[in-house]
Amino acid sequence: MLARLRSTLGALRCRGRWESELDEELRLHLEYRADDLVRGGLAPAAAARQARLELGAGETWKEQCRAALGLRWLDQLRQDLRFAARMLRRSPAFTAVAVLSLALGVGANTVAFSVVDSLLLKPLAIASPASVFTVEDRRFPSQSFPNYRDLRDRSSTFAGLAAYRMAPMGVETADGARRVWGYLATGNYFDLLGIKPLCGRFFHAEDDRRPGASPFAVLSHACWRNRFAGDPRIVGKTVRINSLSYSVLGVAPPEFHGTEVFYWPEIWVPMMMQPQIEGHSWLDQRATFNCMVIGRLGPGVTPVRAAADLRTLGADLAHEVPAWNEGLSLRLARPGLVGNALRDPTRAFTGGVLALAGLVLLAACANLASLLAARAADRHRELAIRLSIGAGRGRIVRQLLAESALLALLGGAAGCALAALLLRLLTQWRAPFDFPVRFEVAPDIRVFAFALAASMVSGLLFSIAPARQTLSADPNQALKGGPAGGLEPRRTPRGRGPRPARPAIRWPVRDLLLAAQMALCCLLVTACLVALRGLARTLETPLGFEARGVAVASLDLGLAGYDLRRGAAFQRRALDAMSRLPGVTAAGYGNSLPLSIDQSSNVVFRAETTDLRPSQGKTATVYQVSPGYLRALGARLLAGRDFTWHDDRGTPLVAIVNQTFARQVLGRANAVGMRFRAGQGPLIEVAGQVADGRYVSITEEPRPAFFRPILQQPNGTTVLVLRSALPPGEAARQLQQAIAGLDPRLPISGLGSLQQMLGFVLFPARAASVALGAFGLLALMLAATGIYGLASYAVSRRTREIGIRVAVGARPPQVLRFVLGRTALLLGVGSATGLALGFGATKLLVSIVYLASPHDPVVLAGAAFVMVAVGVAAAGAPAHRALAIDPVRALRQE
Amino acid sequence: MDAAADLLPGTLDLLILKALSLGPQHGYGVLLRIEQISGRRFRIEQGALYPALYRLEHQGLLDGEWGTSDNNRRAKFYRLTAAGRARLREETAGWQRLVAAMAAALAARPEEV
Repeated sequence: MLARLRSTLGALRCRGRWESELDEELRLHLEYRADDLVRGGLAPAAAARQARLELGAGETWKEQCRAALGLRWLDQLRQDLRFAARMLRRSPAFTAVAVLSLALGVGANTVAFSVVDSLLLKPLAIASPASVFTVEDRRFPSQSFPNYRDLRDRSSTFAGLAAYRMAPMGVETADGARRVWGYLATGNYFDLLGIKPLCGRFFHAEDDRRPGASPFAVLSHACWRNRFAGDPRIVGKTVRINSLSYSVLGVAPPEFHGTEVFYWPEIWVPMMMQPQIEGHSWLDQRATFNCMVIGRLGPGVTPVRAAADLRTLGADLAHEVPAWNEGLSLRLARPGLVGNALRDPTRAFTGGVLALAGLVLLAACANLASLLAARAADRHRELAIRLSIGAGRGRIVRQLLAESALLALLGGAAGCALAALLLRLLTQWRAPFDFPVRFEVAPDIRVFAFALAASMVSGLLFSIAPARQTLSADPNQALKGGPAGGLEPRRTPRGRGPRPARPAIRWPVRDLLLAAQMALCCLLVTACLVALRGLARTLETPLGFEARGVAVASLDLGLAGYDLRRGAAFQRRALDAMSRLPGVTAAGYGNSLPLSIDQSSNVVFRAETTDLRPSQGKTATVYQVSPGYLRALGARLLAGRDFTWHDDRGTPLVAIVNQTFARQVLGRANAVGMRFRAGQGPLIEVAGQVADGRYVSITEEPRPAFFRPILQQPNGTTVLVLRSALPPGEAARQLQQAIAGLDPRLPISGLGSLQQMLGFVLFPARAASVALGAFGLLALMLAATGIYGLASYAVSRRTREIGIRVAVGARPPQVLRFVLGRTALLLGVGSATGLALGFGATKLLVSIVYLASPHDPVVLAGAAFVMVAVGVAAAGAPAHRALAIDPVRALRQE
Repeated sequence: MDAAADLLPGTLDLLILKALSLGPQHGYGVLLRIEQISGRRFRIEQGALYPALYRLEHQGLLDGEWGTSDNNRRAKFYRLTAAGRARLREETAGWQRLVAAMAAALAARPEEV
């Protein structure tokens, strides 16, 4: 077997030499034979002739020699492909449309599936990921550190439990201090995940002795390469983080980025350094639920058993520390998307996208099928001629298949190229905000192989039926008249017996295909419009502040080594510097901004409440802000007053609350003068009230929020807010210079306009709209090509008939109705079905786009209008051609 | 030549193997040797020899190599490989069994039935 393969391959490799040797061998045979004949007494010329006669047809024998090596089959394949390429080149419009529709369908699905694969299906880059789970509370994904310690020590079903927390750190590199996002992780973190360092070592459970005793850092591969220039002697060097020295233990392998799919940390520091990194310690605070817990099941432990164990442990913890753990209910979740917190929405969204991509592929296939059917009908005559001059049916089928295979291959390859491009763009995309979010959707070779195979199969599948119909036809009938100039074909009777003139196509199937395609396209267009409307409404939602004209900059004074007192002084100086900038209309600072990622909340109680358990209060978002902060943001003060510089430690505690706070917590429309308690703290008096806004997410229900004077509750995390008449870019540059003038070594993060910062909030809605918009556009292109293909086919097929009709006096409207009436009808029926489907798919759409509703006259009218416009545009050229038909020429054509 | 018979299908391969078992030969030489050892009793289409040679070579039963013939002409010489020799033995035995069976069958007389 191997020897045979080798001889075939050998002949293939040096095909030219193989052929010339074959020639040579036969020529020598003739010479030897002629010599013998001359010896037998013949004249040389006669001998040569005799030898040739005896050998017979040399080409036949050569062909048999080639067949002996299996070369013939390959030769024919090559011929078929070359012929197919020639045929495709001859009708560029058909080829372009078919390849394009297949490319769009395949491309959309490859992208959608790659995204699902890398976000949801692909296991994390850790050792035996199947036994690693996130431990989360049913209500929110994070845990308090004391709770983690209890779980770690008491659990009998886990081989180990590790805790980690995303944390920003001020890392000093060669180009100054930079804010870098990293992880605080318990000592057993790397060992539990089974990660091997690229170089150096990781920290271990032994490094967890006591807080502050393990100033170690592990760098991510990207951090090592980008921030430390891939320094080969990095291990053992010290790096300053938040003004303290940490020694670099090692570098993580390039593919490892922790256990969250989206988050790409640059540095890992032992959890015991938390007080040094964050400036205050919550390692012993039961009240602070700040860390994520991940665990590896013990050998032979099933998730069910571990979940039961966790339920018991959670109940115990709730029982022992009711003040902080009341209602604690622990469960297992697959890691990667912040437990189930992000997994469920991600799954809903990607599921919707996959469904839409599937629809696009279906529409593309329907398009391809109707195109191929039309083409087969067009070539009926050509095939009949080839059959009647002796071409084998098998060979013709092979040629037809080669053509479809080539088409499918081209379409599939184009689709894969398109998908690879999109995936690259997606992978290279960096968040427009200060957070290391990345979508690592590396194109998987298996996905692409599958896409190519799928397109081949669909291409072949849709070409076999027309090919078979063509071949089972009687060539004589086809040549005599056939469908090329015929009237509406009749249905073929089944069964044996003499065949009637049999058309190669069955209209009803084709009609059905086009109608189905129109329905799918209309559904996609509806979905796209719904998404765009949803986005428009999201963007119109009142935010509670005016983002235009505001520049912001974030500083972390704690990271830069300021203590609270020096930090407060710095904040005042920064504000003074800001106020002196040209064009400034208002300025202020606070610990955070609404709708940024950094949100804090307090449990708040009415003044008269004495039972201060969390379940008795309400959770409210809280900000520490300076006087002028609210004015700079453009928040509307409805009652009371703004803070002043006298609201400091020496005066009674005050707060400004929003409307929902007043209504839900204090039970009044106007709460100015009332008092409340935040956590276990003293009473706070409401000094002012502002309009409601959005705080955590743009899609949230109205939630209570309150603002406290930063002088009464100092905070080193600082966001400077500058409202300026200058363009935001210019204002941001001024802001940066002003800060650098005060402390050039202070790392500034998140510098830019407030509108840029809002990108984070609007990102999911924007991403969804872009995806749906792209699908809508794909659908429109498919619809247009489908209509165009069918209409132009209808015209070319009936050229003679139109000629006759025009000759006997048909007027243009009658011609149009006659040629395109059917297409229009199909378009109408298909679109109506699609709209109805879109109506039915409300649930799917709502899962993808916030504020989406197909029960929207604008959407309905829009979809109908778009379909009609596409239909008119696509059928325009064929209609024009139908009207331009000259009866005399049309009738002479045959 | 008058009594020359058409070859039974499949026997050309066996004859080629036999001819080459007597020593390496080029294509025309194989033809001459078959005529010689069969006493010119077969009608062999000259061209058909080559597809058969290529097929046997492709199956690894023959080795083809370019060389020089006795009258100083280039020629592709075929030589039996070990596999070819084994195949010749098998086919010869098979052929003899067939002949014996046919002979026995054709020699049958009424009283033996």
